[in-house]
Amino acid sequence: MSALVRALRAERIKLRHTLAAWMVPLAPGVILLLSLVQLGFAHVPPPGPTDPMAAWKHFCQGMFTLWLFLMLPLFITLQAALLAGLEHGHHQWKHLLALPVPRRTHFMAKLCMLMAMVAASTLLLAVATPLVGWVIMQLNPAQGLTGSPPWAWLVSRALAIVAAGALMALQGWVALRWQSFTVAVSVGTAGMVSGFLIGQSDRLGHWFPWSMPVQVFLRDGVHLWFVLVAGLVAGVAIAGFALWDCSRREYD
Amino acid sequence: MLAIQTRGLTRRFDGRHGVTDLALEVPAGSVYGFLGPNGAGKTTTIRLLLALLREEAGEIRLFGEPLSWTRRAPLSEVGSMVETPSLYPHLSGRDNLEATRLLLDGETASIDEALALVGLTADAERRVREYSLGMRQRLGIALALMRRPRLLVLDEPTNGLDPAGIVELRALLLRLAGERGITIFLSSHLLSEVEQIASHVGVLHQGQLLFQGTQESLRRRHGDPLAIRCGDARAVCDSLAHLGEQPQLLDEGTVSVPAPRRADHEINRCLIERGHAIHAFGRRPHSLETLFFELTGQEART
Repeated sequence: MSALVRALRAERIKLRHTLAAWMVPLAPGVILLLSLVQLGFAHVPPPGPTDPMAAWKHFCQGMFTLWLFLMLPLFITLQAALLAGLEHGHHQWKHLLALPVPRRTHFMAKLCMLMAMVAASTLLLAVATPLVGWVIMQLNPAQGLTGSPPWAWLVSRALAIVAAGALMALQGWVALRWQSFTVAVSVGTAGMVSGFLIGQSDRLGHWFPWSMPVQVFLRDGVHLWFVLVAGLVAGVAIAGFALWDCSRREYD
Repeated sequence: MLAIQTRGLTRRFDGRHGVTDLALEVPAGSVYGFLGPNGAGKTTTIRLLLALLREEAGEIRLFGEPLSWTRRAPLSEVGSMVETPSLYPHLSGRDNLEATRLLLDGETASIDEALALVGLTADAERRVREYSLGMRQRLGIALALMRRPRLLVLDEPTNGLDPAGIVELRALLLRLAGERGITIFLSSHLLSEVEQIASHVGVLHQGQLLFQGTQESLRRRHGDPLAIRCGDARAVCDSLAHLGEQPQLLDEGTVSVPAPRRADHEINRCLIERGHAIHAFGRRPHSLETLFFELTGQEART
């Protein structure tokens, strides 16, 4: 078994009983619950489209806007800090890095685990969105969510996790590189706030890591392919740099 | 066969002593007590031996195999615990070991074996946050044993332990060395502890190795002082000085001669001939503590 697979299995054990593990269902769960409460008990029909397919898209877009603009950057920031904090907090590096395992393996496993958790949450949101839509229809048929959910649209928007590659690698590096939880959270918060503003710019929005994910549907997805490719390429490049930088560091 | 051998090992830090030109020789199968005051460079040495720090100059060999920042294969022979044990408090003792087992690609049986060795089988399913300090220390050693190492490197393993915990740990280390033939390299502030378990000692001061060898050779090198218990110690001191010796008055009834020039029986005869009442006469072995303070030029803080 390769060292990376073994390190990933070890990471899975370390996540038992942790907030980071609970965050995977909780983060999309909050969005789903808010939508359910807001739309399921609304007394007036939405001002949006009356065509069922358009109503579904409107509903899904609202869900994903909340996720990609607000929750995802916050989620990535916290998950990266929590995952790295497992090792920083109890001075684990001196144990892990004294094992006869290549140094980069530990850092690679952390980045892979971060990406897997973000992907799992995003996919959970994509899969649960139609289910919540169905529940809303039972509670409040005026919302017009009839017919089949737009699965293709949901799947394509779930690709935002690829567009978030650069952001995940960047936050992962910051969290692993600096032992302070505050540094990782400060960088993430500053990036998220900047992302709100920059993300609305047609010229810069698709270049800024914190606003790249939301570009998958902003302006009708005009930058979709750019952010997918750029997110992937920049993510791999930043992850490569992170592995190099963390592996050469002497940890306490 | 040497378990650890370093030549010219050097690592310095800005504004702090590191270690300079360190030449360690730790025989396989020995229990090597690595002594030195705070800041002497003990932890730096241990981190270098575990490739946690880059060496600035010199070389390290573990069981003859070169080890460096980039060449880490010999670490497969080494189990370690640096300062406090590295544990995940939210996990059970067993899960802590399982995470390390997976990384090492070890056998499942190695977990039960390590737990049994450190006496934690009954508490294996409890979360580590519920463990006492002594139990955590033992679990830390169990983690180090997961590789079935030939060499165990322990940095201050008795830190924070109560007397019962220290006794437990001592018994465990002696068992590992005796029954399994594991070489143990441990740093400690507790000189009396090292004295009881170490076959070899190394004394480090300001990054330099002042002595290494067996405890016997250290004692031989310094010679045991002559201790005389008598009725009138001041008068005995005067007589000894008259004989050309350099006595030290320890208290009103005891005189010490650290390095007598004459044979013991001759000194004894002279004192009796001069009419002194001698209650006890003989060599008093140095404690490791005394030798340590002599070597490092420090004095015990009283």
